[in-house]
Amino acid sequence: MSSPPPETVSAQIPAKAEFVHVLRSVAASAAARMNLNVDAIDDLRLSVDEACAELLKAVPRGSVLELTIRRTGIDVEVVVSTDGDPGSWPPNGHERTLAWQVLSGLSDEVMFERSPSGPAVRIRMHAVLEELGH
Amino acid sequence: MSPHSASSDAELFARLPDPAAREELLMRNKPLADYLSRRFAGRGEHAEDLAQVASMALLKSIDRFDPKREVQFSTFATVTIVGELKRHLRDRGWAVRVPRRLQELGLRVGKSVPELAQELGRAPTVPEIAKRTAMSEDDVLDAMEASQAYATDSLDAPVSEDDDRVSGDALGTEDTRLELMEGWASVAPALERLPAREKRILYLRFFEDRTQTEIADEIGISQMHVSRLLAQTLAFLREHVGGEIELP
Repeated sequence: MSSPPPETVSAQIPAKAEFVHVLRSVAASAAARMNLNVDAIDDLRLSVDEACAELLKAVPRGSVLELTIRRTGIDVEVVVSTDGDPGSWPPNGHERTLAWQVLSGLSDEVMFERSPSGPAVRIRMHAVLEELGH
Repeated sequence: MSPHSASSDAELFARLPDPAAREELLMRNKPLADYLSRRFAGRGEHAEDLAQVASMALLKSIDRFDPKREVQFSTFATVTIVGELKRHLRDRGWAVRVPRRLQELGLRVGKSVPELAQELGRAPTVPEIAKRTAMSEDDVLDAMEASQAYATDSLDAPVSEDDDRVSGDALGTEDTRLELMEGWASVAPALERLPAREKRILYLRFFEDRTQTEIADEIGISQMHVSRLLAQTLAFLREHVGGEIELP
């Protein structure tokens, strides 16, 4: 296994709704250190909620939800994935679902994808640009 | 509407969806909902929030009760209300009382955000807030988090229009536009049940793509409050996507 790139934070929870707030907090706390502004941090919190809810609903029999957050250039990228049965993930016509609309409204980019670790939602948010050189 | 209607529950259920019959059933069974919500009090959740959850669950049980089934309405309603109260406490279980220290830190953060936003022309970052308030970054984050968890508003009572600050006039067309957007049509009935202010926040965030700070400024509440209301509203809508499918 290659070592993770610098400034990567990840956390894993049981695939249960009552643990989702842990991932939300981890994402918010890490994003603050990666120079997202408060609007983006709170949008990210909402996005993590939405992504977890969608994965829990659409991907059955998962045992874990995993969140990875890292800086990639001017973006902060968050991937929420599960190890559940990928079945028909991403769901048919997912770009017409409310979850997708909410996620794309909250973030700069969103993708429903099959990552190596399983069904995943990838979200990008822009960091505050003028701080990048500091 | 006769205030002392002598109709039996069965007669009232037969008259549904007549709003007067629904209202009468609601009034008759309100004591049951209040009683059940009191049984769940003292677990870190506001009594008013619990009462609202119970009332909404009562409404739901009235709408879903099938008089043809061999079960008393009170039994059906009790099961529904207790279920909703338990679910509410489970979902918000982490939203326990916020310690005074965090509430005070939250106020300081809340005050600094619009000031900094004004100066910077964008929402501030956590380090910027920490510098301005002379707090550590960790404390700023804790305060932001606590303000999210602090359930001062309950969207489980979306029919309550008590503290609407937004006039209904401006909203009619906006609601329609929101519901015309792809994805949002699936929650049109739930959108209708939202208080005007929550609908307006959704509209501004998702239709006009305004930031939370801009929305806070426009509506006259804090950014943290906008964030909390958005979180609650989206959770409420998630619960009601395809809600009709659950119906027997």
